[in-house]
Amino acid sequence: MPAAIRNLRSDPQLLFVRLPNLLSLLCIVVGVVWLLLLPLNDYSRQTYISENALLPGQVHAYFTGSEQNIFRGYKKELEGLINEEREDGAQNPEVESTPAISNKIHSILQAAGLKVATQKYEYTSAGITHRGENVYGIIHAPRGDATEAIVLVAAWKTADDELNLNGVTLALTLARYFKRWSLWSKDIIFIFPPDSKTGTQAWIDAYHDLHPSSVQPLPLKSGALQGALVIEYPFDHRFKTLHIVYDGVNGQLPNLDLFNTAVAIAGGQMGIGANLQEMWQHDDSYEARLKTILRGMTKQGLGYATGAHSSFMPYHIDAITLQPKGEGWEDEMALGRTIESLCRSLNNLLEHLHQSFFFYLLMQSNRFVSIGTYLPSAMLLAGNFTIMAIALWMRTGYHSDPKLSGPTGSESSKLKSEKSSSPGTQKDVAETKTDGSAVAERVLALPLTLVSGLHLLGLVPLWIFNTIFHQYFTTVTYIFVAVDIVLPLLLAALLSNGLGISTPIVRQQYLLIKSFALLLLGLSLSTLATLNFSLAFMIGLLCTPLSFVVRLEGAAPLRYAISSLGLVLLNILSPPTVLIGICWYTGVPIETVLTQAAFGWDVWGMWTQVVVWCVWWPAWLIGCVLLGSSMF
Amino acid sequence: MAVDRRKVAVFGAAFVLRLLLICFFPSLPDLLTGRVEVSTPVNSFKRLQEGLYLYTRNVSPYDGGVFHQAPLLLPLFSLLPDVKSNPVPTAVFYFLVDLLNAQALATISESGQSVQSRLHSAIRKHIRWDGVSVAAWFLFNPFTIATCLARPTSVFTTSGILFAVSNAVDGNSLNAMLALGFASYLSLYPALLFVPLALLCYDQRVQKCPQAPSTVVFILQHGAILFGSIAGLLGLSVLITGNFWEFMSATYGFHLLVPDLTPNVGLWWYFFIEMFDSFRGFFLGVFWLHLASYVGGFTARLRRQPLFIITAILGVFAIFKPYPSISDASLYFALLPLYRHLSPLMRYTFFAISALLYSSLLGPAFYHLWIYAGSGNANFFYAITLVWSLGLSILLADSIFAALRDEWEQDHPEAKGQEVKQV
Repeated sequence: MPAAIRNLRSDPQLLFVRLPNLLSLLCIVVGVVWLLLLPLNDYSRQTYISENALLPGQVHAYFTGSEQNIFRGYKKELEGLINEEREDGAQNPEVESTPAISNKIHSILQAAGLKVATQKYEYTSAGITHRGENVYGIIHAPRGDATEAIVLVAAWKTADDELNLNGVTLALTLARYFKRWSLWSKDIIFIFPPDSKTGTQAWIDAYHDLHPSSVQPLPLKSGALQGALVIEYPFDHRFKTLHIVYDGVNGQLPNLDLFNTAVAIAGGQMGIGANLQEMWQHDDSYEARLKTILRGMTKQGLGYATGAHSSFMPYHIDAITLQPKGEGWEDEMALGRTIESLCRSLNNLLEHLHQSFFFYLLMQSNRFVSIGTYLPSAMLLAGNFTIMAIALWMRTGYHSDPKLSGPTGSESSKLKSEKSSSPGTQKDVAETKTDGSAVAERVLALPLTLVSGLHLLGLVPLWIFNTIFHQYFTTVTYIFVAVDIVLPLLLAALLSNGLGISTPIVRQQYLLIKSFALLLLGLSLSTLATLNFSLAFMIGLLCTPLSFVVRLEGAAPLRYAISSLGLVLLNILSPPTVLIGICWYTGVPIETVLTQAAFGWDVWGMWTQVVVWCVWWPAWLIGCVLLGSSMF
Repeated sequence: MAVDRRKVAVFGAAFVLRLLLICFFPSLPDLLTGRVEVSTPVNSFKRLQEGLYLYTRNVSPYDGGVFHQAPLLLPLFSLLPDVKSNPVPTAVFYFLVDLLNAQALATISESGQSVQSRLHSAIRKHIRWDGVSVAAWFLFNPFTIATCLARPTSVFTTSGILFAVSNAVDGNSLNAMLALGFASYLSLYPALLFVPLALLCYDQRVQKCPQAPSTVVFILQHGAILFGSIAGLLGLSVLITGNFWEFMSATYGFHLLVPDLTPNVGLWWYFFIEMFDSFRGFFLGVFWLHLASYVGGFTARLRRQPLFIITAILGVFAIFKPYPSISDASLYFALLPLYRHLSPLMRYTFFAISALLYSSLLGPAFYHLWIYAGSGNANFFYAITLVWSLGLSILLADSIFAALRDEWEQDHPEAKGQEVKQV
């Protein structure tokens, strides 16, 4: 063993070039395989209720019988109003937020004995204005002191933009029904926003007094919100299963206890099956589990709001959406009873949900992996960049070996006499010895300036894509594809001419540029993995080629051929190309995706774009510059 | 005197950068002011505002139990316009203080004291940055910029220390002591720098006039000056507050007894949260003794390089102070480039800097998970402050190793470049 280590130390080619490459590759492979192992029984766990106070399904739900008549009555009234509005102004697409309907809900809630208030709001994003009016009512807890509250939301438009008539009617019926119970120890707030994208966001921001000026403050408030349930029921027939949506903005998730309680009540007490991540046929096989995980990771990674519940997550309020799905024999009363039982469970809470996991990947309604098990896979991906960065740094420190110190001796002697290019830093070179253990002086100014400059440059596309009007999104994306092809070559040409102001760049500096770029990438991704695992994993996977991109040397024709091929391949993995590819594959127009993204940035506080433009894009650009510099 | 064009460019660019930051991101200063990494209970700008509010309404500023800073800051800040309605003058004032600090640094660097002192002459003298580069390093350090924008009062302590050192290397030992007195008056701990600073002054004095008094007499004289300056400042403070013991216990008592355990980047808060109250007094003593003990050790071992003692002690402060913030780290990072000639001897720079980078990204992320998202807990943030301290410690230990090695190579020219072996 000591002999092997001595061997390793005496062979810098192996130690600094081959070994790091191998280690990096190993990290990537293990990271991906790790994720693929997660669905196996050995690595995942059965869900369980951690907070004993929840007692899911331990109470009898009384929401039946005569309440159904009330439901039908409310529905008739609302239907009538909507039809009237449609006849009056068929061209108005936002029929549901008209004053007449707001007033109707207002009067129904008031008649049921709730305190009612309204809130108008307006958001502008990518040149589109979203405006609407929230109506909400509060049941003050007969046994509470208005310090805590539960929220029930029924948006007029579901997350899929369908008319949520049954959901709204059910919420109204529940409001009337809940008001007559004396057992509530928390206030219950019913919100009726016009749609699932903006309404709850405006409401929750104003509830915490963090709303922009275009949003009205709330005239009526209650205590700290403990949990929120969103009701969707956009069709008239009976349903088969409950689809539970739980992803929040920026990949934040609700406490697993809330999800578990919903599954336990739906499945155990009501006998309704529960689905997640649109997996309608889940046969508990490996493939189905993996598919569920991957769907969850995609949603989490993109970080957009998947429903009206998502807006609650940034305020540390656990929330889920319940969507009835399929053709079955469960009616709206069954959904109502499920919600009643869920509210009773939340009502039992003595403190904020905190017992169970906040970081998890669900693979089935009753199986999950927790952060301790899955985090290593993203960390290994991020670690591969750090390993490479450290190896490159060490490699630049040794220049006794002719193979490593540059193609020609003249270049390394040039390095010795070089003054750095930046005016602020003047450097001399340490006396170095010939025995190979000495540290070579590194010329840091240019690599540091370039890497930090390119990272700052990322702010430009970030600003552009969040500011321009939506009709230009497609054009700008294609322009960026072109920019991504030209810019690296331009930078590489400039670099090899020493930017016109200094001595030509030497090989060591290319290695240092790569080292710093990978260090920053590894740094950002490992930080990101603690906040949004899926995004870190996806970006890490897309960036893996950057670990192995080098400035090629050797015979000119071969070098040109390989570097152009490499550039083409890298350009396929550039942020705009990936966006176009995904849009093409899923059939969603680019404009829709980017409008949604800009909306997320402006309204939801989503920061996926920051990661794309200030972490991924600069790292990718530097990789391309390195490869492109082989041509000059 | 010819105006140095490079210097004007660097200082101008630093000023404009700061100005652009507050113009384009007007909410940035308030955001940074609220960050625990920048604002501690003893330097927070928000708390200063509270004290100022009470002071301008003729209530004792220490009544609320929020304000713990030196009373002389109050009349100074009451001269500036109200921050809420007019934040720019205060910000510009801080920018100018930063530029003055950079000027002091440039003076220190240009004196060459870091490579050539009375008893020591570094081997790699030719690897050096000039004053403007060192000033640029300080002015464009993100930690300095963040500190400057967040407006903590520790910026003035930094000025006091830097001016004390710059006067000392110029041979103005009186001014040096007055500046140190000002820094000590503001935040107490700079008083620990007295011995190395007096040694620095002494070395300068001996170089100028060979018939200098003996070391002990010199140090006693300067101790008296320091004491006098602090006493004078305290006297002025009594004139302002009227109640000597109240402000003493609210400021220096607060520094010494560490009653506020708001999280910060240091190592004390978590330790004292976990501790049983009966042991508190004992461990307070141990922690302070530990912090102070470095002064003696460094002074004895590195006597030949007094400026390096000061640098190393500032590094120790950035790690082991009761209420450290990134402004302390930025002061340490400001002085490190003076020792550019030691960098070939340092072995773990990359790892130390990587650890610092990791912790400065992960720290805010974990703080967010703990405080805002509610999905983490205090241990997350504390773990990262440990990493931060570890990074600083590695840097500190490595630089001390390099300084010692440099001294040793000076003594043993034949052994230059040989590998170090632990015996």
